[in-house]
This record gives sequence, C-alpha cells and structure tokens, in this order.
Amino acid sequence: MTFKLQRRALLAGATAIAFAPRLARAADADAVTIGWPNDVGTWDPNQRFTPDAQSIFKAVFDSPLTQNQQLKLVPHALAAWELAPDALSMKVRLRDDISFHDGVRMTTEDFKYTFLDRIKTTPGLDTANSWRKVQDIEILSPTDAIMHFSSPAPTAPQWMSFLGSYIVPKHAVEAVGAAAFAQKPLGSGPYKLVDYELNARIVLERNDAYWGPKPKIRRVTIQVIKDASARVAAVQSGQVDLTVNLPIRDTVRLQADAAFTAALLPITRVILLQVRNDLGFADQNVRLAAHHGIDKASLSKAFFNGAAVPLSVPAVSGTPGFLADFSFPYDPEQAKGLLARSGFSVEKPAKIGLATTNGQFPGDYDLARAIAQMWKKVGIEADIQVIEYAKYFELNRGGKLPEATLYSWDNATGDPEIYTGYLLNPKMPFSAWKGMEIGQKDMDLFNVANYDDRIAGYRALNREAVSFGATIPLLQTVMTIARKKGLEMEAFGQWLGVAATLSWS
Amino acid sequence: MTRMIAGLLVRRALVAVPLLVLVSFLLFAALRLLPIDAAAMSLPPTATLAEVAAKRHDMGLDRPVIVQYGIWIDGVMHGRFGQSIALRRDAGTLLAGGLPTTIELAVCAMLVASTLGLGGGLLLFAARGTWAEAAGDLVATLLMSVPDFMWALLLLLVFGVLMPVLPFIGRLDPGLTRPSITGFLLIDALTTGNSAVLFSALRHMALPAVALGMAFAPPLARVLRSSLLDVYHDDYIRQARLRGIGETRILLCHALKNAIIPTLTLMGVQFGFLFGGTLLVEVIYGYPGVGNLMVDAVRNADLPVIQAVGVSYCVVVIAISMITDAAHQLIDPRQHAR
Amino acid sequence: MNFRWLRSGRVVCGAALVLVVALSAMLAPLLAPHDPGEQDLLSILLPPAWMANGDPSFPLGTDSLGRCVLSRLLFGARTALAVAFLSALGAGVLGTILAHAAGYVGGCTDWLIGRAVDIWMSFPPVVLALILMVGLGTGTDKVILAIILVDWTRFCRVLRSEVMTVSRRDYVSAARLIGYSHWQTVTREVLPATLPLIITLVSLEMGIAVVVEAILSFVGLGVGANQPAWGQMIADARQNVASSPSGLLLPMLAIFLCVAGFNLLGDGLRRTLDVRQTAIRGA
Repeated sequence: MTFKLQRRALLAGATAIAFAPRLARAADADAVTIGWPNDVGTWDPNQRFTPDAQSIFKAVFDSPLTQNQQLKLVPHALAAWELAPDALSMKVRLRDDISFHDGVRMTTEDFKYTFLDRIKTTPGLDTANSWRKVQDIEILSPTDAIMHFSSPAPTAPQWMSFLGSYIVPKHAVEAVGAAAFAQKPLGSGPYKLVDYELNARIVLERNDAYWGPKPKIRRVTIQVIKDASARVAAVQSGQVDLTVNLPIRDTVRLQADAAFTAALLPITRVILLQVRNDLGFADQNVRLAAHHGIDKASLSKAFFNGAAVPLSVPAVSGTPGFLADFSFPYDPEQAKGLLARSGFSVEKPAKIGLATTNGQFPGDYDLARAIAQMWKKVGIEADIQVIEYAKYFELNRGGKLPEATLYSWDNATGDPEIYTGYLLNPKMPFSAWKGMEIGQKDMDLFNVANYDDRIAGYRALNREAVSFGATIPLLQTVMTIARKKGLEMEAFGQWLGVAATLSWS
Repeated sequence: MTRMIAGLLVRRALVAVPLLVLVSFLLFAALRLLPIDAAAMSLPPTATLAEVAAKRHDMGLDRPVIVQYGIWIDGVMHGRFGQSIALRRDAGTLLAGGLPTTIELAVCAMLVASTLGLGGGLLLFAARGTWAEAAGDLVATLLMSVPDFMWALLLLLVFGVLMPVLPFIGRLDPGLTRPSITGFLLIDALTTGNSAVLFSALRHMALPAVALGMAFAPPLARVLRSSLLDVYHDDYIRQARLRGIGETRILLCHALKNAIIPTLTLMGVQFGFLFGGTLLVEVIYGYPGVGNLMVDAVRNADLPVIQAVGVSYCVVVIAISMITDAAHQLIDPRQHAR
Repeated sequence: MNFRWLRSGRVVCGAALVLVVALSAMLAPLLAPHDPGEQDLLSILLPPAWMANGDPSFPLGTDSLGRCVLSRLLFGARTALAVAFLSALGAGVLGTILAHAAGYVGGCTDWLIGRAVDIWMSFPPVVLALILMVGLGTGTDKVILAIILVDWTRFCRVLRSEVMTVSRRDYVSAARLIGYSHWQTVTREVLPATLPLIITLVSLEMGIAVVVEAILSFVGLGVGANQPAWGQMIADARQNVASSPSGLLLPMLAIFLCVAGFNLLGDGLRRTLDVRQTAIRGA
C-alpha cells in the first residue's frame, strides 16, 4: 500500500496535466478488485460449462461437493454422500443450514430440481450431458435423498464438485423462468451478486448469512479485461489487485518485482492435440511421426519459462491415470523414418491442417506456430487455421475439423474419466477421434463400477491410445497469477473458489 | 427559420429512410449468404444434426431471405433485434448498452479533432509566407500518415505503459457505480452531480479520444488553411483592413465565418470515418462500446449482432450526413439564393 | 507532359521513401539475414543488437517465436506493397470505369451509380472491410478483394465530378462532332484530362491499403499466419509490449514510413499536376 502512495507523489506533477487526481479508494482493507479474462456469459451455472466462469460461480453458488488442496473430495453443500458399490445409486445428505440469498432454506427439492427436473424440462443446459444418467432422485426428507442412475455412474461424486454442478433455487427459477434467472441469479454462496455490467464489471458482496466460513473481504469487484496485456498493465498500475492468465513472460517479470506476488502454478490443465483418424492422419506413420517430431521441452522452455511439464499421456502426475514408466520421446530421426515409410520427406511433405485458438489460453497461438515449424523440419506441412473456441464444436459436429487441433482441457477432479474418457469418446463433442478400436474401449470404461478396475482400464487405454497415435498430449500447463503484495489467498491447485479465501495482510 | 430547418431535415429524412432500408436489407442478405451455421452455434456442443436442423427451422433460417428480412424488420419495430448467439440476449439490449458509449467517444474525439484542427489551421495560416508554413504543412502531411489505431497504440505505450499517468482500460475505475439514465456517462455524471464518476470517466476517455482526434485533426487544419487563403482574396477583407480593423480581428471575426464552411463540411464527412475508427480504438483500450461488440461478433460469427451493429453504424453515418447537408444549406449564404 | 512535378520536394521525398520500401521488398531475399518464418525458440524476444542482451545475428531483435524482426520487416514489405499495388490498381480501375460511366453518360446511369456509392459509403470502411472478411475468409487475395470492394467508392465519388466537368468542355464536344465514338471520346479526350487526378488518388489509395491490411491483420482477419505482415507483427508484439517495446515500435515505424511515402507522393503530384491549384498558390 505504501508503495502505491509513493508512486502517486512522484507522478503528482505529471498528473497535474491530467484531470483531478484519482480519489483514494475508501476502506481498502475490505475490498478487492480482480481482473478476469472473461465474462460469465450467463448467470445460470448449469447452462454453459465455461471453465473461466467456474471460479465466479463458486462465489455465488454452492456445489454439493468440493476439493481440498490435495484434490481430495470433501463435503460442501452435502454433509455426506455414499456411492453404491455397483454405482447405480448414490445416497446424499444435504446440510440443513443452507439458505439462498433471499432467506429461503435449501432442501433436497432444490437438489432434485437441479440435477433431474430442470434437465428434463429446460432445453439447452450443459448439465443435461454431465447428468444424463440420472434416472430418478428419491426424496426421503428435506435433507436426505437417493440418486438413481440408468447405468453405472462411477464418477458421480467427482462431477458433484466439477463443471456446472451448482444447486439452483427451484422456487426462484420456476418463478421467473430460466432466461430471467440467467440475468439475475439467486444463489446460496459466500457472495451475492449486487451489480453486473455485461462484459465489463461484476460486483459481489459478502453474504453475512453464509453457512460456511465467512470471507474476509466484504466487496469483490471483478473487472472483465479480455486482453492479456491490458490485464498486466492493470495489475501493474494498481487498477486491479489481482489478476490471472497473464503472459508467462510478464509473470516472470513481476516475480522479480517486490511490489507483487506472482506465481506460475502447475494445474491439472493439459494442452494436447486432438487428432482425427482419417484424412491426412489416416496413416498411422504420419500420426506417430507428428508426435515424435514435437520437442515438448523446448516448447515449455520457450513459452512457459520451463514451468510446463511435458506429457506423454493425457493425464498429469499425481492423478490416477498418469503413467510414470511410459514416455513418448522427442525423436526427429524416428519421425523422418516413419514418414519415409509412407513416402513423405522434407521435400515432399505430408500435408495436414492444424486448427488453433488465439488468446483462448496463454501461448496457444505461439505453440501452434512453433509446432508447425517443428513439423516442417521432419516432413509435415501444416496449414494453420485460427478458430474461435466455440467453432471447434461446430466443426466437429459437421466433421469439418482439420487433422489436428490444439486443445486445452481442464480437469480439476483429476479423474481419468474426465481426461481420457471425455477426450477420446467418439460419442462426445470433444473428441475428434472417431475410430472405434480406441473409441469402444473408451466408452466401455464409463460403465465400470469398480474403482480399481476402472483406473487400471484407463491406464491401459492411455498407453494404447498414445502408442496408436489417437492422441498427442503435449504439456501440463501452468496458471499464472499476479497480485499485490499484501493480498493473501490460499493457493489452490486449481484456482477455484479463491474469492472466498482472499484477505489483506 | 425553424420551419426551414424542419423542412430541410424532413426532406433529408425522407431520402434517408429508403436508403437505410436498402442498406439493412443488403447487409441482411449478405450475412445470410455466408457459410455460417447460426443454428448450430446457438446449441450446446452435444446437439445432434437432427436437433440442429430442427433449430434451424425454429429460427426460420430455411425460409427465403425476403421473408426472413420481413420478420427481422417486424421484430425491430417491436424492439427485438434478434438473439445474440454468443451472449444469449437480444442484440438490441447489447446495442443500447454500447451505442451511447461509442457515440460519446466519437463526439469527444470530434471535439478534440476540431480544436486541434482549427487551432492548427489558424496557426498554419498565421505563419503563411514564412518557413514555418512549409514546415507545418509537411508536419501535417506526415501526421496524416499515422492511422488512428497507431495513434492509439502509441499513446498507450507512452502514457499508459512507459509513463503510467492515464488509465487505458475500460470506461470507469473499478469500484465506482455507473449512474445510468441516458447511457451517456458524462451527461449522467453531470446531471447527478457525481464528480468522482465524472473525473474517472474523463480520465478514461482521454487517451482514446485524443488518439482519434490526432488522426482526424490534420486534414481539418489543412482545409481550414486553404479556405482561409481563398477567403483572403475576397474584397471585404481588403475593405476591413482599410477600415482599420486589426489583423487578428479580421481573421477571427470576419474571415473565419466564411472559411469555416468547407471545414464543417469536411467534419461531417470525416465523422463517418471517425465513427468507424472507434472500432479499433475500443479494441485497443477495452472500451465497452459497439466497436468491441462488433469485433467479438465478427470473431464468433454472431450474425444477429453483426446485423444490428452494422445497421446502427449506417444509421449514425447517414444521420450525420443528413445533418451536415442541412447545416451546410443553412450556413452557406450562397445556398440561400437557391 | 512537362516534368515540373519532378521539382516538387514532396514528390521527390515521397518517391524516395516508396523506392526504399520497394527495393527492400524486392531485394528481401538478399538483404534479410534469416528466413522470416524461421523460429529460434531459444532466442525469444531479443532486443535490437545495439542494446544489452542483443544478439548481432539478429540486428533488430526477435519476436515472441524467435523470428528475426528485420527479416520479417523486409518480407512484410512484400506483402504490404503487393496488397497496396494490386488493391489500389483494382479499386482505381473499377472506380474509374464507373466514374466515367456516371460522369460522361449521365442520366439514369449516373443516378444508379450515385445511389450505389451512397449505399456503400453509409458503412464506415473499417466496418465494411471486417464484414467482408467474415465472408471471404483470410488470405492475401481475399484482403486485396475486400479492399477493392470497399474503396472503389472513394475513386468514383471524387472522379465523377471531375469527369463531368471535363465532359462539358468544348474539345470533348468537338471530338464527338468529328465523329469519334463514345469509347474513343472517353479514352482519347476525357481520360487524359482526368489521368492526373487518378494517379494522385492511386498513390493515396496505396497508403490507405497498407493501413487497411495492417488493421485486418491486427484483428486476425488478414493475410494469414504463414505470411509475414506488418499488421500481424504489431498484433503479436502488442502481447509483449512491456518486455519488448521495440517489437511494437519497429513495424509501426515501417507502416508510417511507407504510408508517409505514398501520402507525400500523392500530395506532391496533386499540387504539381493540378494546374488550377498551382496558379493560385504559386506552389
């Protein structure tokens, strides 16, 4: 704080030519301003699975379960849960002290409404996909219920802490309708939404009647700053107190600055190439050559300051699906050899397309261009196509994706079903791979109830899929956070729900 | 007099409305021809092809273009501009939020451009015959070679990053609540007497408005200079001198009145370009106006928003040229003879 | 054709600048120390060679992918000039044809073309170019097409009044009386008179085209990732402006010099070729 005042004094002369000096923020210890890369899009937390919005939803709504710092599932809105051994049902007990921001108590009616009723009646909810197996929710009392699944749902508890699983108030949504609720939400979380300006600002105020630990900060203002360098400038100039998704280089630079705390936190997000099983990639030699031709360590060093861990399977170290003994090496000579077997060389390269986003996650466009360059050296010529994130699904649905797409995938739960399971399931919109030799094995694992069998199955599938060339994992990425010195927060592996843990020291 | 103004405006409006209809139809048709699947983009990723086809029928996308346009016009009459695919609300609401912001920015930028342009023009004229004139003229030409988005980047670099004196993101300091009555932040702040908001808004508007102003001032300066040169050949200037009126008074009170007409005309023409220039400036400064809305919509192929924002750009440009034409007719005494 | 236009300082300076850019573009393969697409992932965001941390093998430093800035500027000049030349020519040809049709023929044709120009010019050019690129997709040829489709109106509107003035002149009527067909009249009598203005407009348009290409590349709807382009360099450098301000300033300087060259040239040509103006001002 004192640093800020000194800078103000120095610039007083310069600011004389500008308009009035900035009025000092009143009650600084009680308020925090956060610079966030994206708006929520919709305030209906079940509607769209936008990863960036989850942190904000966790402030306003409650999920049934959540994760602790070790990524272990712990109770949240649910006091207890029990998944049956055959994974066809799950007993849940809701806390009895949760009230929505309008004072109405949360009951199992709201739970049933969120995970069953509204999915049946409201079109266009993403939760319809994650909770598609829910057949019935049997209400035993205002706090106890049993979920029944149409087929084994072994990851139901994990999903309770994951994307979009927030309990919404039945009385409010039914009263105003889903469309109005999406603009003026009502939650039960540690913060209330008090002001909202589309694509500009979100103002949250502490819910003093919260059932859980009360946040120390009374008022959180979230400024939507879509541009990465604008976020850097915002935190540097003091306009915001904390921001995320900074370019790696700027984070490293801020680490050396005593006025800020900047960190590169490895998280469960992976960067990989989603590949097709046909067109230019129908030939396995080309697929495997493409994988061997990528120098992942160089990419990490160049774009992530070495903090991103190269991956050989689509799972990060510390999660059950990770294989410590399996490695897919960077071997340009082997790549050239494989391509030669199919008649390709540097002079006569194999031609494929590579789709990428630009600005969706830090380093995306740079990575794509660097990979295209690496491929050129072994004999693959890639035509780079920039797409918006949403376009990926449209192209996939129509079968119009290019051979490879640079993709980033977040899985806070760490469970391999939400890594490999989703990424390679031909019936889901995320997978570009439609071949059934891998696809069928992937789909079968969704129904395995026994935990150890399921994990063993995913481990084997990871090994096989990578060796077959059905997926090209690249890096475990890092989350960049920079904040003013003096602003404390609990460092989660995942940066979720942190708004509630902020405090000024 | 008022009757004449009203008559002029009505006549112009009668010409402008069919133009507007035609323009909006052409835009509508062009966007419909694009290979963009609006139905698919508005459904969740898990939708099947059958669901997409059903949605397309729902949205009326399989009807002929004329019919779709008719439906759109009907919606516009009732205040509905089409549902934004990416932002899930009516494009009209988005417009209502962003348009006042952009108009406010454009007007302030025009004020900056006019001040700098007129001042520059007067200075250039005052320096006529000296070496300073040639130098000034050259400087003006060089300044005209810097496009508006480069001014924006330069000012951001100098006053935002290297010497952080002015803010360069957004419209208002975080933590300040916007009084929203008209949507024009400066007017709202003035009418509610909220000085904190007023100062913050002015500071945030400084860099974008100056960037645009710098881009559009040089042509105004040059036109003013050359029309002053023209005017000074006229007899009444000589007569004023003979009457003993000082040079400065001649310049400011007599010559300027007539010389300013071409400049005003140019301002009217330039406003269209300036309004288009707000697009990039808003992107660079994160200013929440229709420019940012348009760029996002183009990136997401969000057709209803592109349509709504595109038509609103046209409305502004046509309205300005209407007003300029009318003003030109009023002010220019030679026109009165008609 | 007298050569007094050569004596104008502006024309000389403008032409010199344009020549420098053109030579850089033509000789780029010889002058550039590196392949403009060659990435050196170990030498990212280096400053120019004369600053601390600079590397003499990268005279003007490197960008976020380790590509040589100087090489990219030189090859970017090719993109810029190709776009400038072809789109200015295209817009000029299209605008000239329509302006002559409108000004010479008059009547219904004039009214129609005039209304078309009105409609076109209701859109701010940047907005129209963006919307066109949504439909056309990215690529150098699409950028050129978009600029031609947007900017022909500039030519048309300005030329039309000139064409009308010239067409009313006596020598044009005389040509018709002699028995020239309309086509011969236009090409032999009207066109030479409007040619100076056309040349001026083409020169100015080239400057405008460079800027539009930069804007489109900046927004991501330009010539595409594989071709070095100044606008793309600016967009890339903006992400790293704090670490490497030179990466942003150098392509901006390149655009400025190129556009200034075209503007000076066009301005100088306008002053020297336009007889009426020179008579009044003695410039």
